[in-house]
Amino acid sequence: MATLERMDWYDIARTTNWTPQYVPEDELFPAELSGHMDIPMDKWEIYDEPFKQTFPEYVKVQREKDAGAYSVKAALERSKLYENADPGWLSVLKAHYGAIARGEYAASGAEARMVRFAKAPGQRNMATLGMLDEIRHSQMQLFFPHEYVSKDRQFDWAHKALDTNEWAAIAARSMFDDMMMGRSAVEVGLMLTFAFETGFTNMQFLGLAADAAEAGDWTFSSLISSIQTDESRHAQIGGPLIGVLVANGKKAEAQRMVDSAVWRAWKLFSVLTGPTMDYYTPLEHRKQSFKEFMQEWIVAQFERSLLDLGLDKPWYWDIFMREIEDQHHGMHLGVWYWRQTAWWNPAAGVSTAERQWLEEKYPGWNKTWGACWDVITDNLVEGRKELAYPETLPVVCNMCQLPINTTPGAGWQVRDYPHEHDGRLYHFCSEPCRKIFQDEPQRYAGHQSIVDRFLSGEIQPMNLAGALQYMGLAPGESGDDAHNFKWADTIRDERLKKAS
Amino acid sequence: MSGMDKAHLNNMVGPVMRQGALARAVYEAAELDNPGRKIQMEDKVAYVRIQTENEMILRQDTIEEMLGKPFKLNQLEVDMASFAGRIETLDDHVRFYFAKRF
Repeated sequence: MATLERMDWYDIARTTNWTPQYVPEDELFPAELSGHMDIPMDKWEIYDEPFKQTFPEYVKVQREKDAGAYSVKAALERSKLYENADPGWLSVLKAHYGAIARGEYAASGAEARMVRFAKAPGQRNMATLGMLDEIRHSQMQLFFPHEYVSKDRQFDWAHKALDTNEWAAIAARSMFDDMMMGRSAVEVGLMLTFAFETGFTNMQFLGLAADAAEAGDWTFSSLISSIQTDESRHAQIGGPLIGVLVANGKKAEAQRMVDSAVWRAWKLFSVLTGPTMDYYTPLEHRKQSFKEFMQEWIVAQFERSLLDLGLDKPWYWDIFMREIEDQHHGMHLGVWYWRQTAWWNPAAGVSTAERQWLEEKYPGWNKTWGACWDVITDNLVEGRKELAYPETLPVVCNMCQLPINTTPGAGWQVRDYPHEHDGRLYHFCSEPCRKIFQDEPQRYAGHQSIVDRFLSGEIQPMNLAGALQYMGLAPGESGDDAHNFKWADTIRDERLKKAS
Repeated sequence: MSGMDKAHLNNMVGPVMRQGALARAVYEAAELDNPGRKIQMEDKVAYVRIQTENEMILRQDTIEEMLGKPFKLNQLEVDMASFAGRIETLDDHVRFYFAKRF
């Protein structure tokens, strides 16, 4: 029996809008959940999803994907990756799973909101598949690290990190909740699927897959690149939405959503992905620098599509270009210094050879960030280890929830973008973080940063022990130098050799 | 700034495939289905970036022939982890393109 080709029936099958008779349209699609901005129903029907897939095809293709990823895991389960991997690489895995695995369930919820409340039938159809994709991503990224829990309790954080008040978990939750939990179908389409998924997830799920392959961790490489094949499809939900909004005079609104999401994603990636690629991944396995991956994925690929779809470069383009050069170096220095508050063991990544690589990739590194590491290194080499621990708190941005820092130099330069709202003084790391707050103060005003909580007395006792307890970090979970300072011993040997 | 602030001014389109047999078949099909266009392949070990200027067509039949086994176009997704440009998915071919040129 001859069967119809997909395109012979696809449009008819997915055109599921109807005229409601029992309730008014606004009750069926409340403005705050659909985000329709009073664009009439028929205007949404021009939405034509560029990456088409039907449910029967979806099930078949997903089964094939799962068979691939799970069989690689099964084949390599006895390869003793945990025992043989560099401790820096294990930290990459811990940071990735903890910050991301449970967030995938939240993403499924956001997709489900589009399934129910999007006015464009094509968007509802694609989001149905996206909703299932994200369940797959959570389940796999909870299952894969589970084999390591019995060897190392930091891997328990793959599952529980986002349930804690650990600072990086607060930062990740703040960004993901903003993008997924408290947004309408249109906002999710633009902020999560377009800005975050066609842009930043490529960095984490393909850039990092390249490093994983170099490091010989084929299980992780295959897992995350397989996840990205789902993103590649459902991330296309946002593109046609831009067309609908631009055609109906809502370009400024679309631009603001995308600008906000790109910036928030950037800040989180500067603390999560930047240090893992340029410091934790063993030097010989680094496929490209973080900056080179940013150029490949975010600037050359994502920003190019943004322009093609009718939006403009973000207003903070120049600030963004500058931050790509240096922001993650400050984040890394901070995470390593406050390492007891992380659920992974940060690798310092500043051996002599690594510093040469950093200087080559980021000219000027030695004179700036390197000067800070010189002090830390001297203290360790000369036996003053106690000075390589912090005694104070960093100042944390009231938007990205990350330590405010800037490239050190000869002059005293404090980075601070303050803003007063309803009698409370907020501090931001940058103009974009402040602008995001000013655009929607009601969304962010009530949030307390981890430092606000400390200063208000919510964290007791007001010392490191109290902070670790508040963050849920038990002994054995609290981070330390990934290589137990062996890199400093090597530098001491190098110096002795030179002196003799 | 190492060309970073200009990197978006390009017209490169095409799929980013996870490494494996399908990636190789897609690269070979891209050469056959896009006569006159120079197809670039950047190998990043975990993934390969297969690109050309402005427009790329990939036909189901060509991929199937290069793969040497039955292949439906929707199976491209099994290993297509990303792509540059816009996409159009039809019954017998997929097209990557840009609406604007730089």
